Amino acid sequence: MNGQAQTTAFEPDIVVLYCGHCIREDRSIISALESVKGFSARCSMVSCSSQIEVSHVLKLLEQGVDGVEVIACSEGACKSLVGSARAEKRVRYAQTLLGNIHMNAERLGISRKKTGITVEDIVGLATERADAVRALGPNHMKNGGKK
Amino acid sequence: MIFADCKPIEEIVKNLKGSKNVLLIGCATCVAECAVGGEREVEILAPLLRMALEKEGGPVQITTKTLEKQCEAEFVEELVELMPGVDAVVSLACGIGVQAVADRFQKVAVFPGVNTSALTIREEPGLWATRCEACGDCVLGETFGICPISRCAKSLMNGPCGGTRNDGKCEVNPDVDCAWTLIVDRAEARGALKSLMEVRKTKNWSNSRHGGTKRVLREDLRV
Repeated sequence: MNGQAQTTAFEPDIVVLYCGHCIREDRSIISALESVKGFSARCSMVSCSSQIEVSHVLKLLEQGVDGVEVIACSEGACKSLVGSARAEKRVRYAQTLLGNIHMNAERLGISRKKTGITVEDIVGLATERADAVRALGPNHMKNGGKK
Repeated sequence: MIFADCKPIEEIVKNLKGSKNVLLIGCATCVAECAVGGEREVEILAPLLRMALEKEGGPVQITTKTLEKQCEAEFVEELVELMPGVDAVVSLACGIGVQAVADRFQKVAVFPGVNTSALTIREEPGLWATRCEACGDCVLGETFGICPISRCAKSLMNGPCGGTRNDGKCEVNPDVDCAWTLIVDRAEARGALKSLMEVRKTKNWSNSRHGGTKRVLREDLRV
């Protein structure tokens, strides 16, 4: 398969991990993510982004997910005070580790830009991650890493 | 606690090249305290290693286990059931733990995943500082509980040297307190400054870490 054909056919698989406190509305995020085009997205809510460990995001990538987006509260808005700051440090650390094994750190990202984010914001962030990942091609761990 | 640093992942991957079934073991004591070799770090390194190794070659199975104490034979025995089929072991314990595993399972290659480097105290979250050099002839009773061997850049037995900064920091590292300034301050606070003027016995360095292999025999414990 040539590179061009692979890029066009490739639909990234994105996982969104988000803090339940930074969401403004109750509308279903799952159904909004199910209807996205050009990539597939799944999501999981945590009660605080500080619950997301480095191993969690690495294990997602190990399982073949193409990209992971963490959505955390903005500076000063975290109910656990430093929970989202902790989450950001962990994501940055995980990105460094990915770089150390020559995997592109763009497969992982964190957003803590604003409070009261909407379903559209989440879809937008997932789309941004999918766009970043699309340029990288599929995760080599897809299909259990079997070549 | 015994302090260790993570080894570069490239070094670990290089050691494991060609391995298909790897056992990654952590230790829940010192290396867990210094956040390089406990269960949390094992669970970080496992996916990372698998991704790196599968990039290099075929599929690799990585089994993880964290022992309560990797330096004790009784705990190492817990690995027996995991060993069949394992062609390489990575231990995130200190050098003692690595050797305990290598001694018990001599037919399997055992690689260290960390560099054991010091005996430290955790000063703040994420900040460790050396507090002991295991010199074998402790002088803490004479130096008011502050170790000049590990905390003075020159390991001076009579300080402070002429290089102490005005703010009481070390001339070698401005982020570190001058150990002898701390000793003098503490002596002064206790009203015992005079004791520092006493001529001490020569320190016995023959019992220190560079004195060769050390074996300690305690007959009272050998029943």
